[in-house]
Amino acid sequence: MSNRTTEARAEILDRLSRVLDKASPLFRGTSDLRMPEIPMTVTRSEGDSRDLARLFASKLAATGGSCEIARQQAEVSERILERMRTWKADGVDAGEILSWAPRELPIPGIEDDLERVGISLFVPDDLQDEPVRMRAASAVVGLTSAAAAFASTGSVVLTSAPGKSRAASLLPLHHLVLLPTSRLYPTFEAWLKELRRGNRLGDLWRSNAQIVFVTGPSKSADIELSLTLGVHGPRVVHTILFDDNP
Amino acid sequence: MTVDVNAPYRQRVSQALQDDSLRTALDRATARLSERRAEAVAAIDSARLRDEARAIRQSAIEDLPRLLEQLESNLIGNGCAVHWARDAAEATSIVLEIARRNEVLHVVKSKSMVTEEIGLNEALEENGIEVVETDLGEYIIQLANEPPSHIIAPVIHKRVEDISELFHRELGMPPTDDPAEMCGAARGILRAEFLRADIGISGCNFAIAETGTICVITNEGNGRMVTSMPRVYVAVAGIEKVVSTAEEAILLWQAASRNATGQDVSVYFSMSSGPRHPGHADGPEEMHVVLLDNGRSRMLERAYGDAALCIRCGACINVCPVYREIGGHAYGRTPYNGPIGAVITPLLADDPTTVRDLPFASSLCGACRDVCPVKIDLPRLLLDLRSDMTTQGASPKLERMAIRAYARSMERPACYRLLQRLARLVGQLPLRLPFMKDWTRTRDLPPLASKSFLETWGEE
Repeated sequence: MSNRTTEARAEILDRLSRVLDKASPLFRGTSDLRMPEIPMTVTRSEGDSRDLARLFASKLAATGGSCEIARQQAEVSERILERMRTWKADGVDAGEILSWAPRELPIPGIEDDLERVGISLFVPDDLQDEPVRMRAASAVVGLTSAAAAFASTGSVVLTSAPGKSRAASLLPLHHLVLLPTSRLYPTFEAWLKELRRGNRLGDLWRSNAQIVFVTGPSKSADIELSLTLGVHGPRVVHTILFDDNP
Repeated sequence: MTVDVNAPYRQRVSQALQDDSLRTALDRATARLSERRAEAVAAIDSARLRDEARAIRQSAIEDLPRLLEQLESNLIGNGCAVHWARDAAEATSIVLEIARRNEVLHVVKSKSMVTEEIGLNEALEENGIEVVETDLGEYIIQLANEPPSHIIAPVIHKRVEDISELFHRELGMPPTDDPAEMCGAARGILRAEFLRADIGISGCNFAIAETGTICVITNEGNGRMVTSMPRVYVAVAGIEKVVSTAEEAILLWQAASRNATGQDVSVYFSMSSGPRHPGHADGPEEMHVVLLDNGRSRMLERAYGDAALCIRCGACINVCPVYREIGGHAYGRTPYNGPIGAVITPLLADDPTTVRDLPFASSLCGACRDVCPVKIDLPRLLLDLRSDMTTQGASPKLERMAIRAYARSMERPACYRLLQRLARLVGQLPLRLPFMKDWTRTRDLPPLASKSFLETWGEE
């Protein structure tokens, strides 16, 4: 820190402490509000895991995304291949998918299954490297999993770690998410409560350079409030949800 | 641009009132945003959400020094550099210094009102650094060389045909009335900028003290790009943005989303806690956080803490009958407009006399107070600011003289009666009173009754 910013720090904190130490009130409006012990759960979500899956799918659809529900893990590879065929028919020809490392994807052997139909996974190691950056930028499909997902809003949580690039969910126009139902929570707050109880919340936030909540495809309504999808991020967000409970 | 943001207040307002296409654009957008908001808050227990959002913001402000120190130490622990700036000049010189050290030529920015507040783009450009705004709305107004006219919808003052013409003129794009086509063109241009930029700059919606995290809300994904693609990431955060925990930030994010656009949540909520770790494929190698005062501590000093609670959703702007008539540029060279802007612009200004008209740009109808997700009593703050300006002598001299003369005449009944009769005589004359010209320019002065109330009472 330079001298000037040290000086600025001291002055700002001093001034704030002086203001707050004074007995006079800071606020003119309602001031006798009590802090909630735990912040409220804003959205609603009820039922068993099947209900949660259906709610997730409908909420994601409402944001412009889509979701299919597979009964078991073994179906997932075939569904991915089917999805790739559909996209290919629409002119989205991915010979190479920008992907998280296979070990970070919840489907064992997925790399080989794709390889058999001529699709390879590109797992970038360093986007600061120009050729890697350009190759990642030219991908039309991105493949990731998610750390958690929320039924009441259709959102997923993406964390950053080795083998889990941010680019895979950001640069391509199509984002495919593989999501086991064991990671599907009713609401944000249910997940946060579980992390807090297990004393894991602080660690999760600090150990990930970035955590991002993603709810549907990239969109803008800046031009006369008309909705446009795929502004900077993906235009298509498709989730394959599968039951991983034994 | 039909409204010159650098013109005096009255001129700006009259320019805005004469602009029919501006009003068309404003009518279309503000009404729809308000409807969507109303639906989104009706779907939840919004009374409780407001109480909790208010309590969370208020307790953060009451604990500001401790939370800021906790935020700073956690950010540093996560590998960030933290800088403190008392004013706009210090903040811009910190960012310039970071840019110089990294030999930066290209900057990409996500939408941020605080960097508009400190004039960061101008400062960087003066030093030969190219700055590209990447929010679609901000990109459009940067092309048009205009400031934003709304906190969340910066280009709300333009119709689709205005934007088409701008893209045709500036980008050589064939004229179109399809927003998706214009958006596609911008995606291509801005994608190249994201990939070549050396620094990404964002503002900060919330800063989480417990974990040392900067939260940025976007729908387009430019917030993710700016915080992930360039080698260096700089976040500029007002010191009032801090909250204690992730749970609190996530509650406020939901409140902001519902009130801003009527979404359950924004598409992206990026929470950056530090530079990339070894083995990460992407993310910045350096992350800097600039903590900015620039009038905020003075706001608290003057007991205007309520104004520091704002989460910048823009709900008050969309329901404001005055904003709906005049738009954002009539509020002058400030990124904060509408009711909340009329409060915080004078509070943040170094010289409040330059913006002394703003608290008067309101009919005090109270619609803003009713929608605010953190229950800021905006009409009351506007009245208090008006009163402050009067006691500080910022009110017109003639008005003060008139009030003094009135007070003196009230003390002497005979004198009061005499003046009353005189006023009635003058009132019968078909004159345009020069000292009333501001009032009578747009309104008719009602004639005075030929007899006073007391005289009529005496006759009955």
